[in-house]
Amino acid sequence: MKVMVCLKQVPHQDAKLDIDGSGTWISEDNIKFEINSYDTYALEEALRIKDGAADTDVVVVSIGPDRVTQALRTALGMGADRAIHVNDDSAASSDSLGAAKVIAAIAKEENPDLIFTGFMSDDANFSALPAMVAELVGLSSATGVLSTELSDGNIRVERELEGGALEVVDLPTPALVAVQSGANQVRYASLKGIMQAKKKPVDVKTAADVGVSDLAPKVTIDKIYNPPKADGAEILEGSTDEVVASLVGKIKELGLL
Amino acid sequence: MGTTLIVAEIQNGKIREASYELITLANGVGGDVKSLVIGSGVGDAASEFASKGGGETYVADDASLADYSVDAYNAAIRAAVDASGADLVLLSNTPQGWDVAPRVAAGLDAGFVSDCFKVEAAGDGFTFTRRVFNGKLDAQLSSTGGPVVATVQPGACEAAESGAAGSTTPLSVDTSGARTKFVEIKVAESTGVDLTKADIIVSGGRGVGDPEKFPEVIEPLADSLGGAMGASRPVVDAGWLPHPYQVGSSGQVVTPKLYIAAGISGAIQHLVGMKGSNFIIAINKDPDAPIFEVADIGVVADLFDIVPALTDAVKAAKG
Repeated sequence: MKVMVCLKQVPHQDAKLDIDGSGTWISEDNIKFEINSYDTYALEEALRIKDGAADTDVVVVSIGPDRVTQALRTALGMGADRAIHVNDDSAASSDSLGAAKVIAAIAKEENPDLIFTGFMSDDANFSALPAMVAELVGLSSATGVLSTELSDGNIRVERELEGGALEVVDLPTPALVAVQSGANQVRYASLKGIMQAKKKPVDVKTAADVGVSDLAPKVTIDKIYNPPKADGAEILEGSTDEVVASLVGKIKELGLL
Repeated sequence: MGTTLIVAEIQNGKIREASYELITLANGVGGDVKSLVIGSGVGDAASEFASKGGGETYVADDASLADYSVDAYNAAIRAAVDASGADLVLLSNTPQGWDVAPRVAAGLDAGFVSDCFKVEAAGDGFTFTRRVFNGKLDAQLSSTGGPVVATVQPGACEAAESGAAGSTTPLSVDTSGARTKFVEIKVAESTGVDLTKADIIVSGGRGVGDPEKFPEVIEPLADSLGGAMGASRPVVDAGWLPHPYQVGSSGQVVTPKLYIAAGISGAIQHLVGMKGSNFIIAINKDPDAPIFEVADIGVVADLFDIVPALTDAVKAAKG
């Protein structure tokens, strides 16, 4: 059984975001990066298959600059077997469809039984790549998945709908499953795992290496900016005692105290 | 001006409100508006949609389309794109929309933008406005030439209530290639935590930092006010509180008289679940947190300074 997991490295969720000089993305200077939170659930889902069947080959794939090595090492430390790093500006600066073409090309080479991805990225929040990869490779797919149950030639998934309802769907394998946040409890890399990860292979490629050249984005970012301030909140200033007194006054005014 | 194809969505036998919002949006973009309704026995729903501004409305009506299937619905949308010659395809950003729309785009080798709240015509393409970085920043994107597929945030504009009368056209779809198989819908279990009936809700977010702080800090304030405790999604995802406490689009949508958000930054999916509250107090260390945009009163401070002191003050006020 071979399982491929797509990872994206994104700015840390608590990073202070400053818009860069181009006005089209954030400045990457002086901020920490981490594995996209949704992707950690996808990796955990793959590692659980390996927990049950040790001969499972878990390969993690990521597109991005040199810094992505660290995310891949973390994933290898958690238990993935090997990594593919597409270190290529033309892929990293394309749009979701461009990135999907590169991942799809790798998937066609690797021919996995299952592909797990996160449902969304914490930076662009597009939620586009997983289903695009499935379409380009010709796989069945499900997105926003909270649980999976693998049997011979089939994976049964529960997709999250609105208001806590779930849609149960059967997908014939090979299949792509985009995992929703909260699907499982994600493991940490053990010290032993981190040591072992240093010996695991990381294969660095370019888009051309996997035969993808058409990476001109069809959608481009014109600008990013701070959301226009609506009326917004009245911000209470003062000491803790003064702020608390104002809050109590307001709650009384509302007739709730 | 080109043609916009609206992919309407059936929910419980009727077309969703969000689909009628797409009519308003498409009219704002300009050009021709055409629509697609997919399902089984959906002729009446399609006629009504056509009569309220949906324009020429394709009806993919087949028993095999009764339940949502990504492959079959993808095939139906692709057939409608071919039939309509659309250069803009709009879906709602719902569990169906976000599941199928990127597949449609990839199949067409088309551009894709998700969860927009604004779409406008610009030159031979379109501009799209949406949030990025979990609501912290906005982005404007553009496409040039070629078709583009976009999903639109439900509630982004008013639903169309009337419009030029359109017509319906049957659309035959080959669903024989569908691989996914619908099994069932599981409705959320009732667990006794019903935040929708609470007058006051005190919710904690990732800023609470530790599962033990919920019973120690958040719940006492809720109790002192005679209210209920809630949480944002990261808290539930981390396993700190069970799902019934989750306020947001995938949890409970609440409209209490008073909502206090402590250590919640305000991701869109949380705001959707609580912005209808009568009065909102937000406490957060980050002055740029999006939660302050929807709050009536904000306190930029450590919740561990404010919440316990507020709990004591509420108790004192009650005597």
